Amino acid sequence: MKKSLNAIIKVSVLVGLVLMSSSVLFGAKNSVTMAGSTTVLPVAQKAAETFMDMHNEINVSVRGGGSGVGIASLIAGSVDIGNSSRSIKDKELKAAREKGKNPVGNIIALDGIAIVVNPKNSLNELDIATLKNIYTGKVSNWKALGGPDQSIVVISRDVSSGTFEVFGEKVLKGSKVREDALMLASNKAVATTVAETPGAIGYVGLGYLSEDVKALKIKGVMPSETTVRSGEYKLARPLYMYTNGAPKGLVKDFIDFILSTDGQKLVKEVGFVPLQPLP
Amino acid sequence: MNKKAIVLMLCLLLSVEITLAITTNLSMELWNRYTMVRQAGKTQSNVFSLERGYLRLEPTFTDKIKGRFNLDFFSSDKYNDGAGIKLKYAYVEFNEVVPIRLSRFSFGMDKTYFGTVYDWAYVTIEKALEDKEKVISSADYGINFTGYLPKGYGEYALSVINGEGYSKAGSKVNINPAPVVNLRLIPIPGVSLGGSILYEKAGFIDTIKTAYDKRLAYTGVARFAFGPLDAWFEYLTQAYGVSTRGVYSETKSNGFMIMPILRFIRPLDLVFRYDKWVPNNSKEKDGWSTLIGGFNWNILFDSQGTPTLFVQTNWQRTVYEDSNKKPLDQIMVQLRWTFSNNLID
Repeated sequence: MKKSLNAIIKVSVLVGLVLMSSSVLFGAKNSVTMAGSTTVLPVAQKAAETFMDMHNEINVSVRGGGSGVGIASLIAGSVDIGNSSRSIKDKELKAAREKGKNPVGNIIALDGIAIVVNPKNSLNELDIATLKNIYTGKVSNWKALGGPDQSIVVISRDVSSGTFEVFGEKVLKGSKVREDALMLASNKAVATTVAETPGAIGYVGLGYLSEDVKALKIKGVMPSETTVRSGEYKLARPLYMYTNGAPKGLVKDFIDFILSTDGQKLVKEVGFVPLQPLP
Repeated sequence: MNKKAIVLMLCLLLSVEITLAITTNLSMELWNRYTMVRQAGKTQSNVFSLERGYLRLEPTFTDKIKGRFNLDFFSSDKYNDGAGIKLKYAYVEFNEVVPIRLSRFSFGMDKTYFGTVYDWAYVTIEKALEDKEKVISSADYGINFTGYLPKGYGEYALSVINGEGYSKAGSKVNINPAPVVNLRLIPIPGVSLGGSILYEKAGFIDTIKTAYDKRLAYTGVARFAFGPLDAWFEYLTQAYGVSTRGVYSETKSNGFMIMPILRFIRPLDLVFRYDKWVPNNSKEKDGWSTLIGGFNWNILFDSQGTPTLFVQTNWQRTVYEDSNKKPLDQIMVQLRWTFSNNLID
């Protein structure tokens, strides 16, 4: 046992020496790295470009990958900010906490999930129950909803995306998407496919709405800045930038910039909803 | 297991999965290792080997039902062609089938939710203490109910398993099921405390005689992760009772592991470990201790920051309490690489 004690002391001394030398390895940092949600991506990129224009010496790098990737990257310590279009899961929080990380969700904008159809579709409105029936396959022809005799082409996000999770939570409520649904990897892919496919229905973040697709009202409420912020529009969610603990240093400067009036103007510019009405 | 049968099984499984699954992820994990073993000034072994060649299929049937099927291809001198295949994981998991958030029920050959073995990432090339000392295998046949505590405060697992690992199957398996309880709490970020218990008793289900009358194994685990330091501690004990001609005797084993890991720069992990194990407490000079030192050089990472290609280098010395047995030195260098892709998306 004496030998064991000696070995433990030796290892402890070595650990101590290496810990002391750590200050040499950690220098001042002039970059911010982030990855994650493809929904948050446009606002993160726009904010990064503007922030770098304002501070020439600072580099801000932005990657996509999906909310799960953003949070996992934050936990792995490979990024400073994990972008996410959903709140962190208990499973992810556990993984973070056991590695000594303390993810803090900083809400930087609001987003409505818009239900979009091909512009040629005459339908203007749906309710959540009908939407669920379409996505689960109980309704498969637009005729059943007063439209033309045309099959409904269901387009969804892939199961690992944050957008799918919010859609699943607010619309599917535990039901399975019909088996022949097209599961696409990005909001842009959904918008493009809906625009090009007659009879298609899909869902995208508000930032991806354009004249190429037609947004539908949900229970009489159109997805818009006002209806999302007021909570009237039910398919809405906050967008997060997760940091390890409260933001500090350059990361704080960057998030403070997004939360400033100038930053929130960028949020609006890319189609998301600013946290407060802009002056 | 017959290799042709395994290949046939794999083809069948692939075709079933392509038909049923929404997505199927195919991944491989390979460990190419060099090992030199020296004892009493003589080289005992000096070999290159494929220690692990996991071929893994993970079908997602619905957002709540998933599966995992995993074959391990490895170097082995037991077979004429020098390679072996074994089944390591084959289970289906059902998520949130009961109204408990993030709960998971699995059936088949899954990880053994005990001590450190179920989240052992082989930061050192050596196995987890309970696996290394053959108290618990890293996978076993059974049913598992696992889940997470709210707000990341920890996790739990309740299992009923064979208790004898994945290498025994069919009639060779002890028929008494072994209940296992595992709990891991994370009261504050960076501090994990927990433990597991396994209890197995002959005659629990049937009266058929087993190799032992009862077995009790338990472990206490602590982990402290602050800044570049990630330190693991584990205390492990096992009591094994056998009746011979009406006389009951019990063998008690115990030991511990201390493993500090230092990560100052992303590509480099410095790893240290000290294990102590006494297989039979009632015997004199029966134990041994192992000191491990080394580093992992992470060359490539995936999009989530997990290393996908890295080199591990470990020096490992085992010293025996019995002074007649000379210390055993091992030098291991291992290249680990993984890749994955979705077959159907």
